[in-house]
Amino acid sequence: MSQKAKPKAKPQPAGTARPATQAAAPTNKPQAERTFWRFALDERWEHTLLILSSVVLLLTGLPQKYRSAAWSQQILATPDQVTLVRTIHHIAAIVLTIEVLYHLGKAIFLLARRKLPGDFLPTIQDVRDAWEMIKYLIFLRKDQPAFGKFNFEQKITYWFLFFGIGIMVVTGFVLWFPVQFTQLFPGGIVPAAKLAHSTESIVALIFIIIWHLYHVHIERLNLSIFTGRLSEEEMRSYHALEFERLTGEKANPEGK
Amino acid sequence: MGKLKLLFFAAAAALILGAGLANPVWAGEKTGEEFQETSKYCLGCHSDAAKVKDITLPSGETLSLLISPEHLAQSVHTQVGIECEACHSNISTYPHPKQEYTSKRELSRAYYQSCQKCHSTNYSKTQDSMHAQAATAGNLDAPVCTDCHGAHDVRPADEPRALISETCSKCHGPIVEAYRKSVHGAVLIGEDNPDVPVCTDCHGVHNIQDPRTEQFRAQSPEMCAGCHANAEIMSKYNLPANVYDIYKLSWHGVDVSVYKARWPTIWHDSAVCTDCHGVHDILKASDPASMVSSQNLLATCQKCHPGAGPNWTGAWTGHNEVSLERTPFVFYVQSFYTIFVPVVLWLSVIYVILQIIRNTVKRVRRSMP
Repeated sequence: MSQKAKPKAKPQPAGTARPATQAAAPTNKPQAERTFWRFALDERWEHTLLILSSVVLLLTGLPQKYRSAAWSQQILATPDQVTLVRTIHHIAAIVLTIEVLYHLGKAIFLLARRKLPGDFLPTIQDVRDAWEMIKYLIFLRKDQPAFGKFNFEQKITYWFLFFGIGIMVVTGFVLWFPVQFTQLFPGGIVPAAKLAHSTESIVALIFIIIWHLYHVHIERLNLSIFTGRLSEEEMRSYHALEFERLTGEKANPEGK
Repeated sequence: MGKLKLLFFAAAAALILGAGLANPVWAGEKTGEEFQETSKYCLGCHSDAAKVKDITLPSGETLSLLISPEHLAQSVHTQVGIECEACHSNISTYPHPKQEYTSKRELSRAYYQSCQKCHSTNYSKTQDSMHAQAATAGNLDAPVCTDCHGAHDVRPADEPRALISETCSKCHGPIVEAYRKSVHGAVLIGEDNPDVPVCTDCHGVHNIQDPRTEQFRAQSPEMCAGCHANAEIMSKYNLPANVYDIYKLSWHGVDVSVYKARWPTIWHDSAVCTDCHGVHDILKASDPASMVSSQNLLATCQKCHPGAGPNWTGAWTGHNEVSLERTPFVFYVQSFYTIFVPVVLWLSVIYVILQIIRNTVKRVRRSMP
């Protein structure tokens, strides 16, 4: 059931995207495998923008961090090149900042209307889930615990990057406009921002490679952030509770 | 075989020649009495005002031909037996051959060529110097050997060391005046301190280069580090010897090291030591008049960071290791990441490895009947 089978990414006549936060009604086309809406179009765009801006920021930021390395010197070959790389870094930073502002703005907008879905908030249940998952991983439990729409692994990814990007954006602007920032804040924030910007980038990068890439590429190829949908099979294995909530069916009828 | 013999003679000749250079030939085996002979001969006239008359050169200058024997006796050359004709090689007969110098300067510039006969290494170094370039560009006052070392009274240039700055001050008066008041100059001139730099320690001796070039600027921190990264010297004065190492990690320092290594001929504005501490007028950082004292630091920063407010100076970690007292913000960030980084990375690595194991076991079990 939970083979690592690729979700048969259905080229469904997907029509217009439905808000993922609404209960994703199973499509009831005959013979067609049911798929479940998971991410709205704007959320998928946000993720794409996030990837693009982060990749550009890393490509232009890492050479600046490791200026004495040979590979960095290939990129920062002349003083003009350094200026160019910095300019590209700043442009990508603006793109990322706009994306962050959109994300926060939307959250505040929804919150004000009491429409902000709570699926992504950490709860005590996540701690229990993590504990059960660890028991499963060390063979103290037979089955994987059942998760809701977002499991604790995904919530860790989200919140780790939420704060990580927050740190990067704030410290990045401090480094970009140090004179202006120190009109208001103590000067000590500048070297502190430099250290944080430099260290956080590496932590975030390694975390993404180990944690996020494993979960969405190696463990299974989860393309829902691009397609917006999950297959029934994936829903049953990885988001059993959400599946049951949406369909009223048992996720694992045989109990295994 | 013949070739080998030739080689042997060549080597022997080179050895003899080499020994000769190291130990000037005329210093040879002569006794103190003998080797003063030509000097005595020359001084027979040239120390007697009745015998030699002043000459008026075409330039209108008066050239005295009198030599003070006391003066001459103090010269290092006299002491090792080097006599008049070693330098005045064009005057070995009497009556003297006619000389065609039009001015005193022309005469000096002609006679200093003699120095290269023995001091060829230093002589050729001077040919690459800023002074030689100035002369080539037409400034005939640019110094030649004798301007710094003297002519008939050549003495060790650095005894005492303060003599060096005095020598330079003959032309570079205002700079030496500033140096005299600096932390380095004050103890050199007052106390003959052996550790502080004199002019030549930073500028070089014979091949003095233009200190306004990109190259000089980019290598200047290293120059300061010559003493300021030397723990032995610094401990004498209770100064930290890690300032250069910490500077190298700073924004300024990284920039400067990149320019020095890769673009030494491109000007850069990232601060080097002297931009903040001053050049010839360096004072103790604790001196209120210092460019980096708490009263003056902001103005010093503003030279490159216009518009910086009073909080700005707090951004400078001051060549100090990170500490809670001096740099609390950096200290907290550093402490946070010291814990956060390994925790995050180890937890995620362990978790993912457990998942890989668990998923593999699951798959293997499933594939079994």
